[in-house]
Amino acid sequence: MGSREFIAGPNFSGRSRAVHARAQRFGVPTYFIGPYAEAALSGLSSTIEDEIAIYRAKDRAADRPQFGAIVTDPHRKPQTLSGGEQVLLALHCFSLSAYRALAIDTALEQLDTANRGDALRYLDANSSFDVVLTDNRARPPNWTCTQLTASGTRFICNWEGVRGKIRPQHAPTIAIQQLSFGYRPGQDVFSNAAVALERGRAHRLFGPNGSGKTTLLKILVGALVPRSAQITLDGVAYEPWRSGNRALALATQNPDQQWCGATLREDLARRRAALANRGEADALADGRVADLARDLGVPSLDQHLYELPLAARKRISWLWPFAGAHPWIMLDEPTVGQDDDTCRELARTLDALCSAGYGVVFVTHDDAFASAVPHRVLHVENRQIS
Amino acid sequence: MTPNGAIVFTLVVVVAAMMSRMSGLVVLYLLCALFAVIEVGPNAAAALRRAAILMVPLAAFMVLVWVGVVGRAPADIAASQPGSRAGALVYVSIVCARLFLIVAIVQIAAMRFASITPLQFIKLLRAPMALKRLGVLTLSLIETLLQAVDRAHTALIASGVITRRLSARNVFNGWVLVQTVWLTAITSVTGRMRDKWPMEHTLGLLDPLLAETRKDPLRTPDKIWISCAAVAVAGIVWGDFYGLP
Amino acid sequence: MLTTPRLIAIALCAALNFAVGSIVYLIKLPLYLDSIGTILCALLIFPDRRAAFVCSFLAAMISTVITTLFINPFLIWFSATELALALVAAYFIADAEAIFRARPLPVLRFGLRVVLYGILTGVVSAVVSAPVVAYVFGGVTGSGSAFLVAFFLKAGQHLMAAVLHSGFTAEPIDKTLQVLFAALLFRATPKDFIDMVRARPQPAPT
Repeated sequence: MGSREFIAGPNFSGRSRAVHARAQRFGVPTYFIGPYAEAALSGLSSTIEDEIAIYRAKDRAADRPQFGAIVTDPHRKPQTLSGGEQVLLALHCFSLSAYRALAIDTALEQLDTANRGDALRYLDANSSFDVVLTDNRARPPNWTCTQLTASGTRFICNWEGVRGKIRPQHAPTIAIQQLSFGYRPGQDVFSNAAVALERGRAHRLFGPNGSGKTTLLKILVGALVPRSAQITLDGVAYEPWRSGNRALALATQNPDQQWCGATLREDLARRRAALANRGEADALADGRVADLARDLGVPSLDQHLYELPLAARKRISWLWPFAGAHPWIMLDEPTVGQDDDTCRELARTLDALCSAGYGVVFVTHDDAFASAVPHRVLHVENRQIS
Repeated sequence: MTPNGAIVFTLVVVVAAMMSRMSGLVVLYLLCALFAVIEVGPNAAAALRRAAILMVPLAAFMVLVWVGVVGRAPADIAASQPGSRAGALVYVSIVCARLFLIVAIVQIAAMRFASITPLQFIKLLRAPMALKRLGVLTLSLIETLLQAVDRAHTALIASGVITRRLSARNVFNGWVLVQTVWLTAITSVTGRMRDKWPMEHTLGLLDPLLAETRKDPLRTPDKIWISCAAVAVAGIVWGDFYGLP
Repeated sequence: MLTTPRLIAIALCAALNFAVGSIVYLIKLPLYLDSIGTILCALLIFPDRRAAFVCSFLAAMISTVITTLFINPFLIWFSATELALALVAAYFIADAEAIFRARPLPVLRFGLRVVLYGILTGVVSAVVSAPVVAYVFGGVTGSGSAFLVAFFLKAGQHLMAAVLHSGFTAEPIDKTLQVLFAALLFRATPKDFIDMVRARPQPAPT
């Protein structure tokens, strides 16, 4: 019977190191699916077909293909897949490979509930390989469990301090009417869609991959120009693709893609300069923001952002939204890589932000987290938002 | 046809195009048309369309500069002759005809292999393994960077650091987008080099896939086309010798 | 010479050369900036100059071939320019790596070095590119510098001289920007990545 080991523990307790150590003890090459961007991919392919070809066992008798539904277009570039789709592709490649050991470092969190269940059932049902897994959401029963505890005080968050620094806000209601957009002619992502986002409330964007959730975010921050749209902020016309984003502070799924500098100080300076350029009141004093950064686990503004552990980078990516730069906050998959305590505190903080007058929009596959935030669900599919 | 043959054929045609005058260009156009019809088929139209899209702006620019502004051909300038716009137009036409041929044959040759994956293409190349690995890595990282460009572009617009349209802010802050994309990619590859590749021995999986098993890098169709191109070159040299236009 | 981290650095820099084109298109800047990765590769691999030159040139050529196939079919003609650029990057620009990474930033020394290397690179690039621009493209490559060529031609200069003078005017500006970008990216690159790339290959145990 292949061994099944689960490594439990909070963030920064050494789980990733433990996964490595267990994998080395397997004594054979171990297929690895990691927590960071594109960690599920080999980094050697530019089509799905090539990615499969790299891992497919020479001995076809080793085939035990699973998760093949992800391969709808073999010519598609794996880098264009969402995080969850990349994990499914990795599991498919593993099932075709000759590997006899698998290590997964929190990657399953990027899957929705149904796919995560399928993945865990697959791992449970196959005795032909060893598995070591660490995850913040799933804890498979009947696996050997090693519990780690947090060591040291680095990157610890002071959530009471974060909530204590929330500035009152009066977020405008965002009303969207007659929204039509398509990346290519004849292939609309939205067709005459309409929705109202209410101040003081959290909204969960929910829909299958490719339904338009990210597209809606891009339109609202002004990165895309819709074919037609009437967007208002408290009844006043708002065209962010012309006038720039005035309403939304965005925290991306991969925190590395939103930094405006190599250090936190550079990042904040550029953001403040951008606000000042538009003549907007700069109430984001250096001292207050530095305190907020410390509360989010980063004590120095001169911290090189890319040298932080991933979980810490994810948390500090919430600094700008929590600082009150804009009245609306958008978080894309905020709980990926975050332990249960952090998710609970994040949910409480989003609730506190809504109470303070902010508007919140989030995208998540984590139903447990979503249920901890009083929110309204916005279904994005079939070119509509309902 | 193999990529090796297509590359050699294309190189010979390009060299011939650089040497040839009008009569030589006519021969080469006929050869390339034959190649497009036999080796590429209907997809050649897409390759030609692409070549035209790339070439037309350059041709228009050349006409503007040489005919519109300069008003005479370089030979007339060198000979201190007054020249004429008609002479400039003839000069531009020959240069454009040569360049379009070069662009078109590259696009047509690339279209020949549009149905195979990048890994399959690189496998068929006769090249040192290190170069093949580099090709595979680069193509993969290009996709990684392009995805990062798209995501970072959105985030930086959202933060107001850059704008969607041309602006003074983009002139000063555009490099932040380059930096963000670069550091995102570094983080991704560093993680891979530290974790995934050592655990999986991933690079070891690549080499057998890239190793070319055929002894002869060229197949019969390659040799036929290369021979045709060589004959065309010989014809061009002969035509030059006898002073054909 | 070609360790795995160096292969990664070459591939990353080649990919950067390719991807920067899409960035300048998105932010609507009228620039090329297609050699930032070439210069950056030399900075990353310095102080092994020979390796820096080889890796820098490989990065340049790989991006040139891929760009020629998919974007700009004329770029391959400037391969000699890429070779010259890799030489200048490995044997001159890389000397300033300590200044580029110094904290706090020595603004004056940084700026002077960027301008000096930009001018040097621009002049070398103009000289090496001129025959290609003149004899392959008839003096016009589709960039704004064609109007400079037209100006010099109208003034009675021969084609080669006009192309050279146009190059001396436009190339240093373009290359100064590219050296600046490469220096800033090098400055921001995490130290552990640079250490990985610079680690010398270990001899096989006997």
